[in-house]
Amino acid sequence: MTPFRAMRRGYESRFEPVEKAVLAKVARDVAALLRDESGLGPAQRPERPWGPDGGPRPATPARPGAGPGGLRAPDDLSALGIPTDGELASLTGMTGVARVPSDPAALRLLPDASKDDPDVAAEFRHLTQADLARSKVTRLENLAELLDPRDAPERAVQQAGRHGAPPPVRVPREDAAAVAGALTDVRLVIAERLRLATDEDVERLTDEVMWDNEAGRDIPAVDDDRAATRFWAGVFVAAGYAQESLVEVMLADLRSGQRTGQPSDDAESDG
Amino acid sequence: MTSSPTPLIVPVGAAAGTATREDTTADAVHGLADPWVTIVWNDPVNLMSYVSYVFESYFGYSQAKARKLMLQVHHDGRAVVSSGGRERMEVDVQAMHGFGLWATLQQSGKQSGAPDGARGAA
Repeated sequence: MTPFRAMRRGYESRFEPVEKAVLAKVARDVAALLRDESGLGPAQRPERPWGPDGGPRPATPARPGAGPGGLRAPDDLSALGIPTDGELASLTGMTGVARVPSDPAALRLLPDASKDDPDVAAEFRHLTQADLARSKVTRLENLAELLDPRDAPERAVQQAGRHGAPPPVRVPREDAAAVAGALTDVRLVIAERLRLATDEDVERLTDEVMWDNEAGRDIPAVDDDRAATRFWAGVFVAAGYAQESLVEVMLADLRSGQRTGQPSDDAESDG
Repeated sequence: MTSSPTPLIVPVGAAAGTATREDTTADAVHGLADPWVTIVWNDPVNLMSYVSYVFESYFGYSQAKARKLMLQVHHDGRAVVSSGGRERMEVDVQAMHGFGLWATLQQSGKQSGAPDGARGAA
């Protein structure tokens, strides 16, 4: 993966095929988790097995709640959901039922709005959870489509565009905040699964992954718990790398656009 | 909050250790006219640059003010980022959750949301 760079038509980065496939798969899994946990209905489109362009190839057709064999998580991303909830929502036609997520990762994406006042938290959840969950699901699914489109003909056209090298991942400027937000949600869920509780946890894990990368060690095959942890650590760091470089160019654009007319209300020197 | 995941990119918060600390109270957020506040809490996942981006793009804060609030979240575990009526704060909290930051709202007089007095800053 190369850092995102600001280009005329958006922000562009080059991903390895396996990076696209894995991040897209995880984004779809997080979207499915959110649908289940927030009370939104299940996805309209049936999931398909992974695309033809490389990466692990699980035989199991993905279904919300059923983890594909090739991407086993320390805790399966959606196994802890309550599938009957989404099904109930679709049966009754009631979506957006504001139930408190039982899965800690989903709860991190839809957190309490008060630490000490249950009434404030409950009212906020009632008012906002459906909209919040829906917007997160949409942008996660859009990120997955951006990286690994389900539409095979479109993919063929894209890949025919450049001899040899795969086309870059292009994020239009108007979509950049949604992509950065989706990457955040992916990272928050993985961090919860990996039980990363402190800044030091994250730094140590990042160092380990970077050390492996510099030593030329690949993402390990997922065949035991330790390898699974390592796999998710690699996904976490890759998503963070993508997000960091994307946010850098977004900030540069934002600041260059804001220079004029922005009151300088602080005299703090910049570092 | 963490900085860049790779050494290839200079983290926005790289100079955190030398940041100016004289004026550490959040700006003008405890007026009686603003009975509620939005608090953003630290977490180990969100990148310092992303938190700055959120504060600059959503609130329209200057780069310096956004950075100061970001560092306050990072070092103190939380920062008051906006104040106003309850409904307005609910909008802000929802937006922060949308960005993936954990935010809460509360009445501004409540102790747990007040700036950390133990910091020893004027």
